[in-house]
Amino acid sequence: MRSSLMPLGPPVSRDRVIASFPKWYTPDACLQFKEHFHGQVSAACQHRTTGTVGLKFSKVVVVGDLYVGKTSLIHRFCKNVFNHDYKATIGVDFEIERFEIAGIPYSLQIWDTAGQEKFKCIASAYYRGAQVIITAFDLTDVQTLEHTRQWLEDALRENEVGSCFIFLVGTKKDLLSGAACEQAEAEAVHLANKMQAEYWSVSAKTGENVKAFFSRVAALAFEQSVLQDLERRSSTRLQVGDGDLIRMEGSPPETPESRKASSLGCC
Amino acid sequence: MEEPPLREEEEEEEEEDGEAEEEGPEGVLGKSPFQLTTEDVYDISYVMGRELMALGSDPRVTQLQFKIVRVLEMLEALVNEGSLTAEALRMERDNLRQEVEGLRRQAPPAGGEVNLGPDKIVVDLTDPNRPRFTLQELRDVLQERNKLKSQLLLVQEELQCYKSGLIPPREGPGRRREKNPLVTRTSPASSNKEEKTIIRKLFSFRSGKQT
Repeated sequence: MRSSLMPLGPPVSRDRVIASFPKWYTPDACLQFKEHFHGQVSAACQHRTTGTVGLKFSKVVVVGDLYVGKTSLIHRFCKNVFNHDYKATIGVDFEIERFEIAGIPYSLQIWDTAGQEKFKCIASAYYRGAQVIITAFDLTDVQTLEHTRQWLEDALRENEVGSCFIFLVGTKKDLLSGAACEQAEAEAVHLANKMQAEYWSVSAKTGENVKAFFSRVAALAFEQSVLQDLERRSSTRLQVGDGDLIRMEGSPPETPESRKASSLGCC
Repeated sequence: MEEPPLREEEEEEEEEDGEAEEEGPEGVLGKSPFQLTTEDVYDISYVMGRELMALGSDPRVTQLQFKIVRVLEMLEALVNEGSLTAEALRMERDNLRQEVEGLRRQAPPAGGEVNLGPDKIVVDLTDPNRPRFTLQELRDVLQERNKLKSQLLLVQEELQCYKSGLIPPREGPGRRREKNPLVTRTSPASSNKEEKTIIRKLFSFRSGKQT
């Protein structure tokens, strides 16, 4: 799915423009501490040598128990709506969200899976090729937190080891406050570290942290895609010896022609 | 020839019975042959023995008497066999009835449902919400929905391009790429080709299985 091209649509809305690297939620459970894009990535974006990355989308899979609010979280982010009525997701659903990250168009394809056991056999067919796995749980229901490990295990089984960013997301933050919230978060952070996941608390109802969270997801996925693309192309260059196609960071300034060639190089 | 003395012994009994039973020994000949008992056969023997004796000691009568006794013996055997068979069948029927009642008592009280064992469910065919579609059918519907949704997103974006003036109304979709600053100018032919590729890729996008 990652190799699929996206149509170049209208410009993305202003709140989907990510210029600086979005920060983590808590330093106690985060995937990386950097506050800026990787040097190579920034350079590639500046010089427009991100290859086909701008035409691709990253696959994000959201898993977790039923009624924790996976669909609500996605709908809050993609449509900025919140529905109080619960409606079980049938099998899977998806949304495509377009970003502009460091000047490069980038899209997330967010797969919303059913939490009901009876749909597991359908939803699990959609786990494959995920760049990001979001395991969601209900902050007010400790059992749903305990189940996240199983959900993650199922999702990871369909993907290559170490190929996915993992997020642990506590939902319904608006229902907790003060000590109860701290307690729930502490437990979640503890588990997140075991899962090698980044932890976030969100509320789809109030919208708290929802945009920041998905921006973080998008930026991490984007950066990884650019780095992988650069690496792939440099290894291709070494094999094929076709050095003209690629301009790496630190290469002599490019002419418009060579820039054009490299941006089309992998189409 | 053994019969007559036997009958004579019974004579007293029969006469006693005769007082109670209006029909008497003669009435037994009016019975349905399927309801005959061995007792009835003996009654018939008695009646016929008496009549034969009344005919005197003509040797022809004696000869006929042998044959009649033989026929009555055959009738007795048949009736005897029939009643034994009927009794056996009656017993078997009663046993089966008891067995059925026992099984009915064991079955769950709810509507007398049949116990299907584990991993089985009973479907109420009159329930409008009963399960009736297969998993594969649901998969197919979902795939089709996903495909249509991706097409809808594509169309919505294109519509937005027209609305925002990114693509002038008279220009075809194949040329819209040239307006985008991020894409290098290409000839209309290759641009069209690229558009087709994108659409084809989006159309072929299903369930993420191909990644």
